[in-house]
Amino acid sequence: MRVIVALAFALGLLAQAAPAPAQDAEALRREMEQMRKQFEAMQEQYKKAMDMMTERLERVEARPQPPVAAPGTPAAPPAPMQPAQGAPPVTDLVAQRPPGSDPSPLDLIKPRQPFALYERRGPGQLLFDMGVTGDFIGNLTQHNVQKNQGGSFPGLENLFFPREVEVSFFGQIDPYARAEVRVEAGQDSRSGELTVNLAEANLTLMALPFGTQLKLGKMRNRFGYLNQIHAHDWPFIDNPNVLQQFFGKEGLVESGFEATWVPPLPFYLELLGGVFNGENDVAFGRDQISNPLVTGRLRTFLDLDEWGAVQLGSSIAAGQTPEQRNSTIVGFDAKYKYTPPGWQRAAFTLLGEYLLSFRDVVVTDPDGRDQTRTRNSQGFYVFGGLQPFNHGELSKWLLGFRYDRTQYPAASGTEWAVQPFLAYYPSEFLRFRLGYKQTTRSQCCSYLDFQDNGGSAKQVSEYFLQATFILGAHPAHPF
Amino acid sequence: MRRLITLTISLATAWITFSAAAADAQKLRVITSTTDLKALTEVVTGDLAEVDAMARPTQNPHDLEVRPSLMIKVRRADAMIVNGLELDDWADVVAQGANNPNVIPGAPGRIDASRGIPVLEVPKTRVDRSMGDVHPVGNPHYTLDPGMASIVTQNILEGLARIAPQHRAAFERNRQQFLARVDEAVGRWTKMLEPYKGSPVVVNHALWIYLLTRFGVVQVGTVEERPGIPATANHIVKLVNLMKEDRVKAVIAEPWSDFKLVQRIAQEAGASAAILAATVGSVKGTDTFIEAVDFNVQTLAQMLK
Repeated sequence: MRVIVALAFALGLLAQAAPAPAQDAEALRREMEQMRKQFEAMQEQYKKAMDMMTERLERVEARPQPPVAAPGTPAAPPAPMQPAQGAPPVTDLVAQRPPGSDPSPLDLIKPRQPFALYERRGPGQLLFDMGVTGDFIGNLTQHNVQKNQGGSFPGLENLFFPREVEVSFFGQIDPYARAEVRVEAGQDSRSGELTVNLAEANLTLMALPFGTQLKLGKMRNRFGYLNQIHAHDWPFIDNPNVLQQFFGKEGLVESGFEATWVPPLPFYLELLGGVFNGENDVAFGRDQISNPLVTGRLRTFLDLDEWGAVQLGSSIAAGQTPEQRNSTIVGFDAKYKYTPPGWQRAAFTLLGEYLLSFRDVVVTDPDGRDQTRTRNSQGFYVFGGLQPFNHGELSKWLLGFRYDRTQYPAASGTEWAVQPFLAYYPSEFLRFRLGYKQTTRSQCCSYLDFQDNGGSAKQVSEYFLQATFILGAHPAHPF
Repeated sequence: MRRLITLTISLATAWITFSAAAADAQKLRVITSTTDLKALTEVVTGDLAEVDAMARPTQNPHDLEVRPSLMIKVRRADAMIVNGLELDDWADVVAQGANNPNVIPGAPGRIDASRGIPVLEVPKTRVDRSMGDVHPVGNPHYTLDPGMASIVTQNILEGLARIAPQHRAAFERNRQQFLARVDEAVGRWTKMLEPYKGSPVVVNHALWIYLLTRFGVVQVGTVEERPGIPATANHIVKLVNLMKEDRVKAVIAEPWSDFKLVQRIAQEAGASAAILAATVGSVKGTDTFIEAVDFNVQTLAQMLK
């Protein structure tokens, strides 16, 4: 029975699928004729539209380019819209990017501005960013301080000089890594000669797994808050006394590797470890990767929302001095910034670093024998900046104050300093600072007696003028 | 028995919690630079993604403070959507500090929302900073124009479909539904501003050109002397004279502008001043893209009356 039902069902389906009875041939022909006519009409319509567009395009191409409004003048009214019904056509708004035509041989022999041909190729053709920064310092102090070379800029007292003129190149190498290269020139002595050096040249591998990155090359070490920042970007004029005493005037700039890990936690935590040659001639001058300077850093951040934000960090650097003696420096840093809602700049900034140095030194005991002992010394600085206006002329002014206190890492004695200053920012690319610094040094008994050349640097009063500019690209500043 | 019931309820609760957590874990995590892009991303993803913005609505996206708390948001992201016309270059610094290879330039999760945008105010001559803080690649504020929603959401869709191809159909469906709502609203907005086509307005910062051009309103001057450079007394005098000559009725400003100055200029020239929603959520009641444009169009129409 089942077989019969199935057969009947299959036959039924076949009957449905069978060709329909012959249709009326005349009706079919009429329908096809109608479709042909419709197709011809559409073809005609398309041809007309294409002709109109071609004509319009030719007219536009033949039209001379309108002159560009001079900067500062109000923008020219945009072309009127074709609103029609509903959404207006977006194409009417188009202001095309400059065409990327190649220069002709005639263009090449014409006199031109620097980079004029580069600009013709359109933006983004250089494939990396470059910028120039200039930082100039003028300082006035007592003659005895100049004789002793005991000012904040040793050997450059009572001079106006270029502290740092820097050319920087930075950008992506490929989808996996980025690079930065900075070449610096600056005056180091009274002779007026400039020294040019490779300040940084490094690459960062950014596509590593598990939230890690590896930076290698020559770099400013991420030790504490200030060391990684170039002098023109410091929030004050001169290097804090504690950093100058513990790392020298160049700071900790080393060649080697630095790896960071940002673990997947609900709060920000960055762990850093580094291995370097040890090229710092004050604290770590062993200069051997086989006997390296090892660094570490832990950084976290508390976002207090509308009450500002705090960054906390702790760092360590352990290596050997040029005399092959052990040296370890531990640092703690904190920065608080309060930016009221809607403000573009922080109204109030508080920054401080505290450093501890454990350095092996040779001392002669009463019996006249040399002994190696570990000298512990410490120092800190605290900086406060106030910029209480968001708009108008007053928003371009900032009032700053720094207090320094430090011991000497390889000798006994202490120095402390106060420094108020006033900064003026005509724009974010230009800045002037005017400051005063009073330094007091305790009676000292070893090599740092501050009595060289018949001068004395125990009480130092200094007046500073700083002018800084940025030309071209400059990466956004971190917190 | 009571123990059995308690145990069953506990197990059920744990299972539901676990399932919810697992579902959340499956969601795409998308970070955008601005709240405009966040709003436009949310309409594409619907419930399939968690979307967050780096800039707060009231922050000027030109110059954002790079906080490590932004890096922690980016650290976990599957995709990062940026403006692409140098409005949010700071996003690169955030991506560098986040140690997340998904969002670095060139990665599939790095999405540029500006691709194919007909960019306005592209400099036709050599530019430098004597002209102020100019954008060499053109005005980046294209998200203020509802007509650009189609291109921006298409870019977002294509980018997200690269990393989650299984959701392409859903993204496309969401996008079409949203664009239908925008189309309907654009008709309404066009009608609302139709009587004021060709009307002159003054803006604080050259941020509104896409919105104004869309509806045929003409920008005749800026309160800023040059982009990012505050007005001098001389410029204000010239601007007020120009406004009187052109019978300018409206001066529009962004929430982070010096609104007292804007009001003073408007008052001197006999015009009215208002703050418009420069980004989604920057003014109360503008928490969605359509609400923000709606607020801007209504306020503009009222000022031009």
